[in-house]
Formats: sequence, C-alpha cells, structure tokens
Amino acid sequence: MADPEALYGANHRRLFRYFCRAVGRTEMARDLTQEVFVRMSRTAIPVAQDGDLRGWLFRIARNLVLDHHRSRRRHPEAGPLTSEPMRSASQDVSAAVNEALASLPAIDRDVFVMREVAGLGYEEIAAACELTPDAVRSRLHRTRLLLREQLAAPIATCRTTAMRGATQQTTDD
Amino acid sequence: MNNTHEVISALLDNEPFHPEELSDALSDPAGRALLIDLVMLRRIVQPGDPAPAARTATTVSRYSWRVAAAAAALFLSLAGGYIAGQQRAETMSSEAPTATRVVEAESFVPTGGMR
Repeated sequence: MADPEALYGANHRRLFRYFCRAVGRTEMARDLTQEVFVRMSRTAIPVAQDGDLRGWLFRIARNLVLDHHRSRRRHPEAGPLTSEPMRSASQDVSAAVNEALASLPAIDRDVFVMREVAGLGYEEIAAACELTPDAVRSRLHRTRLLLREQLAAPIATCRTTAMRGATQQTTDD
Repeated sequence: MNNTHEVISALLDNEPFHPEELSDALSDPAGRALLIDLVMLRRIVQPGDPAPAARTATTVSRYSWRVAAAAAALFLSLAGGYIAGQQRAETMSSEAPTATRVVEAESFVPTGGMR
C-alpha cells in the first residue's frame, strides 16, 4: 500500500497549482490542498501504479473543486473578485484567465487545467475525470481553441513580450 | 479536429506523432500561428508561484513539538508543585519545630494603659 505522506509529498505542488486555477484563489487553493491530504488519510489508498494513483488523487481534488463551486453558488460572496483598483498587468492577465476558465463547463476546465497547469497525462486526466483518453484529447483541444479566442489579447501581449525578450537576448549575444 | 490541430496538440502534450505530419502542419502559417498561440496560452495560464500548502509532515512535526513542550511544562509544574508541597508538609507537621533562638524576659513591667 502506498505511503500517504510520500504520495502527498510527490503531488502537493501539482495539486496546489491545479487548485489555484480551478478556484482562482491562492488561500483557498492552500486550504483545498490540505483537505486532499485529510481526505486521503481517511480512506484506504488503492493499490495501483503511480499514474493511476495520481488520477485517484486528482479525482479527490476535482470533487473538492466541484463542492467549492456548488457552495459558492449557494452562498455567493459580496463584491466582484476583479474590482481591485490598483492591479499590475500580470494580475490583469491572471484575472482574465480566471474569468475565461470560470466560463467553461466544469469538465472542460478541469481537463484543461489538469493538463496545462498540473502537467497530468491523458491517462491520469481520464482517471481523474472518469473519461476515456480519447475524450480527454478531444475536450482538451476544443478548450484550447476556445481559450485561444477568449484570451487573444493576453496571448498577443505575451507573444510580443517573448519576441522582445528574444530580440534583446540576440542583441546582447 | 483536423490533422494540423491533432499533430500540434500531440507535440504539445508529448504524445507520439509523425514528423512528416508536423512538418506539413508547420509549413502552413496558420499551423505555426496555432502552435505559437498555444505555447503562449500555456504560459499565461500558469499561476504565479506562491508558496504551496505547507507540507503536512512539517505541520505535524511542529504540532508534535508543541505537544512535547506543553507536556514538559506540565510535568515540570507538577514536579515543582509536588516538591514544594513536600517541603511545606514537613514544616507544617504537628510536632513543634526545634527552637533556633530563645529570648528570656527578665521582668515584665506594664507600660501603662492598665486601670
């Protein structure tokens, strides 16, 4: 049987990153990351390969995110999250990303975030979201195209910045 | 999903693909633009890197230290209280303590106030 401490230690960073984007709040992401460990320690860890265990761990994480969003729908918090007056450009991009992710169906958001932010493979995502790997591939691609449109402005800015950086580096060399 | 999209997705996701198909996809400006946009998309969706949740092992360890310190403090106070109690009990036993100094009054003369 897998050691819960070792399993958590190997995955807590991925979990935290997933939660950051799936709920859009760092503090909540910290709490939910801890909650995964609490839930994991209450249940028997299945005997499985590392990849399957990661899928299992992210299924717990996904259920926590779904619970969180259900709870927020029942008890909406006062004040929009994006109304802080003095935000940096990176905070603006982050808020736009959160908004775009929040507009997606939950399953597509989770597939996308698990792949792009937490770095899970198709099989692991399939285990976590109870889909087939082909369904993961197809949803992932569709979501990427959708987000490419929704986040066209931040993507263009990022591309310009990257090109400027590359040009600067070439000049320095 | 068309072939260009499929092969570019496979490249991004470390999935197997045919190099010729990738070459064809990247010979098309739309394919190149898609690849660049998806790489940029990946970059902008990364959360900042704040500290992840504290390792539970550390939390447990800190908790254990606190419990141990509290237990030690409790033990010391109980032991101190016991020793102090023992000493006090010795001094308060029914037997009168041995005199350490004896003062003898030579003659008692009242200093007034008697009627």
